[in-house]
Amino acid sequence: MTTEKRPKEGDFLEVFQEVTRLISMVHDPQQVMDLVVRRLPGLLEVDAATIRLLDSGTSTFVLGAACGVSDEYLSRTTIDSSEVMSALMRGLPIAKTGIDLHCDHDGCAFISREGVKGTLSLPILFKGDVIGLLRLLTKNTREFSEAEIAFAMSLAEQVGVAISNSRLFQEMENQVNFFRELREISRLVNSTLDLDRILKTIVEKLPGITGVKGCTIRLLHPATNRLELAAASGLSEEYLYRGSISREDSIFKVLKGEPVSIYDAQNDPRVDYHEAIKKEGIRSILAIPISNESEIIGVLRLLSTEPHFFTAMEINFAVTVAEEGGNAIQKARTYRKITLLFNQIEEHERFLQTILDSLWMQLLVVDPDKRVIMVNKHFLETNSCTEAETLGRLYKFVSPWQTQDTSVSPIATVLTERKPLTVLARLDAETGPQWFERHLAPILDNDGTVSFVVEAVRDITDQKLLEQEKMERMKLQGVIEMAGTAAHELNSPLFAALGTAQLLRDDLPTEEMVEEMDMIIRNMKTMSDLTRKMTAVTGFESREYVGETKIVTLKTEE
Amino acid sequence: MAEILVLDDVLDAVVLIRKILTKKGHTVHTFTEEEEAIGFAGSNHIDLAILDIKLKKMSGIQVLEQLKKVSPEMKVIMLTGYPTIETAREAIELGAGEYCVKPIDKTELEEKVAEVLAR
Repeated sequence: MTTEKRPKEGDFLEVFQEVTRLISMVHDPQQVMDLVVRRLPGLLEVDAATIRLLDSGTSTFVLGAACGVSDEYLSRTTIDSSEVMSALMRGLPIAKTGIDLHCDHDGCAFISREGVKGTLSLPILFKGDVIGLLRLLTKNTREFSEAEIAFAMSLAEQVGVAISNSRLFQEMENQVNFFRELREISRLVNSTLDLDRILKTIVEKLPGITGVKGCTIRLLHPATNRLELAAASGLSEEYLYRGSISREDSIFKVLKGEPVSIYDAQNDPRVDYHEAIKKEGIRSILAIPISNESEIIGVLRLLSTEPHFFTAMEINFAVTVAEEGGNAIQKARTYRKITLLFNQIEEHERFLQTILDSLWMQLLVVDPDKRVIMVNKHFLETNSCTEAETLGRLYKFVSPWQTQDTSVSPIATVLTERKPLTVLARLDAETGPQWFERHLAPILDNDGTVSFVVEAVRDITDQKLLEQEKMERMKLQGVIEMAGTAAHELNSPLFAALGTAQLLRDDLPTEEMVEEMDMIIRNMKTMSDLTRKMTAVTGFESREYVGETKIVTLKTEE
Repeated sequence: MAEILVLDDVLDAVVLIRKILTKKGHTVHTFTEEEEAIGFAGSNHIDLAILDIKLKKMSGIQVLEQLKKVSPEMKVIMLTGYPTIETAREAIELGAGEYCVKPIDKTELEEKVAEVLAR
């Protein structure tokens, strides 16, 4: 380039107008930066232009846009000498020539290879703060006049205003979108108590809204307090399972409740696994805490494949989504616990019901209003009824043992006296009388009030019949024994009287007296027959056996 | 004629049996106390003993057992107003010749005594 070709002061206005006209037409900060670096070299007759933006998280300048230089040159770590960087940070422009010859930092080789000889470095200011750098590069020796520097500085200020305005515009646009999307996400995550569905909704919706590649949610395991991957979208399995991230600096900060925005994820020391990040094509990461009220329960990360400054609005949006999500996650977890408890209770109930149904007795539970609230299977089967016909009905209509006279109802007695009661009930069935033993026991609450009455009813008909039979047998036995005793007591005096009468008969002098004695003897023999019959009930008779031996056999019938 | 021992707790009964059997020519020794009867049998010859089962201190079965020890050849008729299978079986097993049930007829008693003595 020659000095003759440099823009004259009269041209500055034209260039300034051109630049401001162009940058006022776009609202995307990236477009502003691209436009500036593409158009400035031609307008200011330099070979290349770069814009770097200040990453406030790391206090470093990261590449925003470039034109006219190689990627290799742009990838160098040190941008310029400490003198230049110091001047820029103070908000002062600085021009240098012969930088390929007088280089005192580790980027000299890059400068030399690129053939850069002169630079004009300008701070990009917004409201007095340095928000970036604009660098104009020449590949031949060129001196920048005071007027050019002042002009370039004005341009840089315009760029700063344009970048800030476009950021503001974009943020406002995003804000509108975010409010809409936030409402949608909030509706979705609060419409379900399914934890997996909530997590899936967040990781799938958030990348689309924020324009990033992927999203992950890691939750702290309540038992171990370790982060565990709970949901993810837009990322490979290989990347997701690259290893634990619990020891990353960014995670430490996030778990303290502080969002962390990482512009250059591939090199930033606050994240590990740089190789995996490069392989996955991740450039920027936003990590934010997921909290439920004041308790942090996990980490949400947004991952971008483009270098991206996460704005305060974006961060606020993500934080709000994470808070909504955190509340929904906690609700879903609580619901899960409750469901689990319900299932356990139901299982216990089934177990108890099986036991109650297996009892070989009829069981009823009655509330203080005398309504049946539970019956067991044996009751239903014995009384040929269903639960629907039984539960909720008044006890007097359900119980087959209940009399209509409620004043003597055992249930009423137990409810009043709050003590167990056992009563005997008799039912006259077609097959004959049936007996039941009814045991009624109150269930008392802490205040001693009767909550329920449990009635267990046992069919004791067989037992009762046996008892009756035994009693009748004992009565009969008593009669028989009495008859036998009476017969025995009569036999000896009767024997003496009869024998004496028979002896006396032999000595009587007249026929008439003999006849009278015969009448006495005949009547006493009738009495003897009677005592024999009485003893014969349990008696026996002797009969011939073998030789002179006799055996006795029972008389079966008289 | 035979020497007959009669043991019954009812005095009228032993008196009657003595009268009936004395008329038949037998010598009858009557007792209402068990020890006296057993003592008498131990020191005198007895052909036949007529024992009631229900006595005052012992049972007729126990007396039968004692008498059979003293004199195994002694014939015995058991007499009872309250027959049971157990007493009948025990009496037969201990060697009683007859087991009669009161009230026994005078003629039947005479016949049973004659029959047992004739064995």
